[in-house]
Amino acid sequence: MLLEVDGLTKAFGGLLAVSDMSLAVSPGEVLGLIGPNGSGKTTLLNLIAGTIRSDAGTIRMDGEDVTRLPNHLRVRRRINRTFQLVRMPPNLPAIVGVMAGVMYGAEPKRYKDAEYEAAGILGELNLLLKAGHRLDQLTYIEQKRVELARALATGPRVLLLDEWLSGLSPGELEGGMSVVWSLAAQGIAVILVEHVMTAVRALCSRVVVMNAGVKIAEGPPAEVLRDAEVIRAYLGDDDARGP
Amino acid sequence: MRASLAVTALAVLVAALAAVPWLVSDYGLGFITNLMCYVVLTVAWALFSGTTRYVSLATAAFFGLGAYTVAMLIKEVPIYATFGAALVLGTLVAALVGLATLRISGMFFVIFGFGLSELARELLVWWEINRTHTMGRYVFVSFDTTMIYEHLLGLAVLVFLVGWLLRRTRLGVALLVIGDDETMARQAGVNVPLAKVTMFVVSSVFMTIVGAVMAPRFGYLTPNIAFNPMISFQVVIMALLGGMQRLWGPLLGVIPLIVLSELLQIRFPFWYSVFLGLVFMVIVYFLPRGVTGLVEDGWELLRRLSLRARLLRRQPSGAR
Repeated sequence: MLLEVDGLTKAFGGLLAVSDMSLAVSPGEVLGLIGPNGSGKTTLLNLIAGTIRSDAGTIRMDGEDVTRLPNHLRVRRRINRTFQLVRMPPNLPAIVGVMAGVMYGAEPKRYKDAEYEAAGILGELNLLLKAGHRLDQLTYIEQKRVELARALATGPRVLLLDEWLSGLSPGELEGGMSVVWSLAAQGIAVILVEHVMTAVRALCSRVVVMNAGVKIAEGPPAEVLRDAEVIRAYLGDDDARGP
Repeated sequence: MRASLAVTALAVLVAALAAVPWLVSDYGLGFITNLMCYVVLTVAWALFSGTTRYVSLATAAFFGLGAYTVAMLIKEVPIYATFGAALVLGTLVAALVGLATLRISGMFFVIFGFGLSELARELLVWWEINRTHTMGRYVFVSFDTTMIYEHLLGLAVLVFLVGWLLRRTRLGVALLVIGDDETMARQAGVNVPLAKVTMFVVSSVFMTIVGAVMAPRFGYLTPNIAFNPMISFQVVIMALLGGMQRLWGPLLGVIPLIVLSELLQIRFPFWYSVFLGLVFMVIVYFLPRGVTGLVEDGWELLRRLSLRARLLRRQPSGAR
């Protein structure tokens, strides 16, 4: 396993946002992380990426304990993420954020080489012509791709995508899904927090379901999505009893 | 070709500026020395605050630190040794202050910078009265205004060079990104506290050295003169007035304000502060990008107008 999360716990005051969560992903695997709103998916992503610190539990990356490492050092240990609400510098050309990733990522490049490399990454995501645009000059899907470019610029082996496929048109969704596929084909382990079930069914070999901060199910998507407890978590007791 | 032309032009400009002391009156020399002092302070301020958008009111603290270090040591050691001491002290204090404060953000950082320079001032006053029993120190050395001016010119060249290089390095890009979205900067792998402290130290050391070089110009120094909070406020307003998108932006704020302060302070010394306040309001309400923004917009407008004029001329008559 590439990334191993064991017993991870985080409380905000009296609210236990994530409780004793464990999961693992291997290279090239797409793991779905689903659950109702407020079930702790994004918090778990924040904990793994190092955006916030955990209260208990361990995170191991490639055998190394990274639980206590700050955000930027986990980036250099090849864990990166996208945010639910795109985070890129609002007043700078798109390429500058990607260049920062190239220069400060797992294989830091010098300023001279960074622009060339960043342009290459943007090109792979069909964004080369948008390199000089500011964030507000890009469409929604372009913003999401630019942020992915910034994450890829750091050379991640584990990539956490927080609703990266949400809010897209059917055509855009197909394009987005093929991007995720190609990432997995390159050997990147992807953890996908997603509400778009078509994408989860198509992309994920395994799904972890969270509710109220704990894991309530894990397995292949077809099986897990039939699971009575999962349906109860999403839809309430009445519908879970079934016909 | 164009680059070497620019370098030549800049070299000529610096040479011309270096020759100024032999071309102007004593009054003129005093004026341009004051101007050069604020050029270095403001560009140094913009190096840190312009990129990270942390508004620092600690300029007076570092300027005062430099000036007062010289004042206290000048009787014991040669002047360049006092500059050296100021350099070391400035670096240490800036690193300490940076480490302690750059985790706090926004308004708190602003107030801290102001508080720091006031604290330093009050502490020194207390120390001088109760421990050394001297209020006020004379800085009499053979370091005349021409020397001060030439040293400041050298610092100006250096601070511009640092700013120019910064835009071509990893640290420069990191600072830009930090100023725009700190969370994203971390997610790009940037060690945010380290980048900020590094730049804060570089910027503060420039301010300290300016203070040290300026000490002989005062001749007589008390903590109240060295740690004058007006320095901090003026620098902020000059930088904002000039605009910080370009390296030369602060110049467009320093020059008019120094000229005005010179004109006003001779006849209406109290009106200068009022005027500064008014300028600040104008910036906030009408010139968020400073004079640089105005120049850039004007340039863009001219370019478009000339383009349109050319297109219209090319259109065959009667086509409409």
